[in-house]
Amino acid sequence: MFNQLYESIVIGFKAVFQNKGRALLTMLGIIIGILSVSLMGTAINGIDNVFNQTLGMFGDDVLYVQQFPWFMGDAEWWEFRNRPQIREEYSKKIAERATSISHASLETSRRVTLSYKENNSEGVDLGGRGWQSAYIDAAKIESGRYFTQLEDQSASRVILIGSEVNKILFPNVEDPCGMSIKVNGLKFRVIGVFAEQGKIFGMFSIDNMAVIPFQTLKSVFGRSRWITIPLKIREGVDKEYALEEVRSITRGLRGLRPLDKDNFAINQQEAMEDELGKIKTSIAAVGIGIAALSLLVGGIGIMNIMFVSVKERTKEIGIRKALGAKRWVILIQFLFEAIIIAMIGGLIGLGLTSLLVGVVNKFFVASMSIGLVLTALGVSIGVGIVSGIVPASQASRLDPIEAMRFE
Amino acid sequence: MSLLKLENIHRVYQIGDIEVRALNGVSVNVEKNEYVSIMGPSGSGKSTLMNIIGCLDTPTNGSYDLDGTSIHQEVADGTGTASDDQLAVIRNQKIGFVFQTFNLLPRMTALHNVELPLIYGGVPRAERLERAQAALEQVQLADRMHHKPNELSGGQRQRVAVARALVNNPSIILADEPTGNLDSKTSHDIMDLIDNLHKEGNTIILVTHEHDIAERANRVIHMLDGKIHEDNKKK
Repeated sequence: MFNQLYESIVIGFKAVFQNKGRALLTMLGIIIGILSVSLMGTAINGIDNVFNQTLGMFGDDVLYVQQFPWFMGDAEWWEFRNRPQIREEYSKKIAERATSISHASLETSRRVTLSYKENNSEGVDLGGRGWQSAYIDAAKIESGRYFTQLEDQSASRVILIGSEVNKILFPNVEDPCGMSIKVNGLKFRVIGVFAEQGKIFGMFSIDNMAVIPFQTLKSVFGRSRWITIPLKIREGVDKEYALEEVRSITRGLRGLRPLDKDNFAINQQEAMEDELGKIKTSIAAVGIGIAALSLLVGGIGIMNIMFVSVKERTKEIGIRKALGAKRWVILIQFLFEAIIIAMIGGLIGLGLTSLLVGVVNKFFVASMSIGLVLTALGVSIGVGIVSGIVPASQASRLDPIEAMRFE
Repeated sequence: MSLLKLENIHRVYQIGDIEVRALNGVSVNVEKNEYVSIMGPSGSGKSTLMNIIGCLDTPTNGSYDLDGTSIHQEVADGTGTASDDQLAVIRNQKIGFVFQTFNLLPRMTALHNVELPLIYGGVPRAERLERAQAALEQVQLADRMHHKPNELSGGQRQRVAVARALVNNPSIILADEPTGNLDSKTSHDIMDLIDNLHKEGNTIILVTHEHDIAERANRVIHMLDGKIHEDNKKK
């Protein structure tokens, strides 16, 4: 039994390698199919990774009251653009009224240039945040501390810097806390450094940032038009409940009547998840579509080549049967030939994928998982079996007398 | 008890609307270590008879016992998978074929060709190699065992085929026009080899249309129109 199985597998291999060119052409469909399946999987994996990294910035128990929703259509933009601004005092009022909220803060930002001696870091995202953000921000502080309530209220010139800024300004300094840097030429004292958070889509560093107290930003750069109010949901409170409570309080603050539409947005991490889910679904749909089509074409190609192979080897099949080969032995022989073609196609597809992923990785976070590799191999073996079974079973049923006469 | 016992064998082919009666009531017994040749013009049914004896085909009617196995009864009809595989097992264990066109697998060495029946018989690798080599030595081809068929002469190829027929100690050796593709000198060599196999105790059934070759056997059966026309035993 094992001997015969071994013999069948060896013959299958030999048959493929005796017709390398033909086999390679036949594999093309499978190669393209596996390539698209695995590229799709890789892209989805990449998006997941990016998402998980990026989520570090937003807590999943935080609501953001803002003028704009995070995701919107082009047409809506003008409508949202004309909404009244989110005002600073909302934060305090929501904190006072909402029982579901434990902390309410303020956020705004602008682009600045930071400098230390001759080192400049340009285009830094400088956030002005309320002191309560210490309890809301998910970003971890690697060394130093957050600013205090007093520092915020007194508009102190203290600053926390992101890891990217730290690298640029202080390449040779172990801990920059206590050093003075300049923000658009004004002197600030470094009181903390954030831990590295990574890059969004591998391109935009979210570490090229710095944070100063909200009141400091206001006093130095003037009132900001764009204010975000981050709200931390009290532990144990239902998110939906908190959302409704914040909504109704904000409506009250905005002076909206019962039938008026909301003229503000309450954003949360889930909105991002939904949006990414949509992107993932459309990538998957396209990828699976292309893959299914090329695997189908590839499968038909294999089936065709297997019919040719059976025809070519009719005499051989007759001889083998005359000498005592049972049906399953012949069946396995040809089935293996088909599986080997499909599997090598799959492996080449995976090889090309990992090559491409290597190139893409320079611009975009992409990764190949073991699960993906196994799935791709499983799929190609499946295609081999499906497309090989009919020719193989035809071969196994040949009449030895007829088959031996075939020239 | 006869090694081989055919009783009232009929074989009818349906070709389109026409019914061809290839065998029309053939009864024959062959004893162990007999050397039988079957002669007859083409269309006389000798090939069909060979195919049935060789379990490559099954009779439409009649009974066939081979070495104590009732082929026709055990293999109820020639269409089911089980019977197809059962026939394969019987061919593998009881019959050694030598064909006119050698029927060697072209991409394999002589040794591997001889090994094939043992592979399908499930013989372990080491024993298989040993037996295949011994069979090749028996046909004086030990020095050519790693050559492929296209590197061998016609006579050598047929000797590989004879070794393949011998290798699993079959009950009978069936030779279907074994010299049909060979020149007369080589034909004699091959026939001498087959004669020798008979002397060593093998049962041989030979199909030929050459008288001098048929005369080497102890018994000559003449076929005509699907029936046995003459059955002459020597001595």
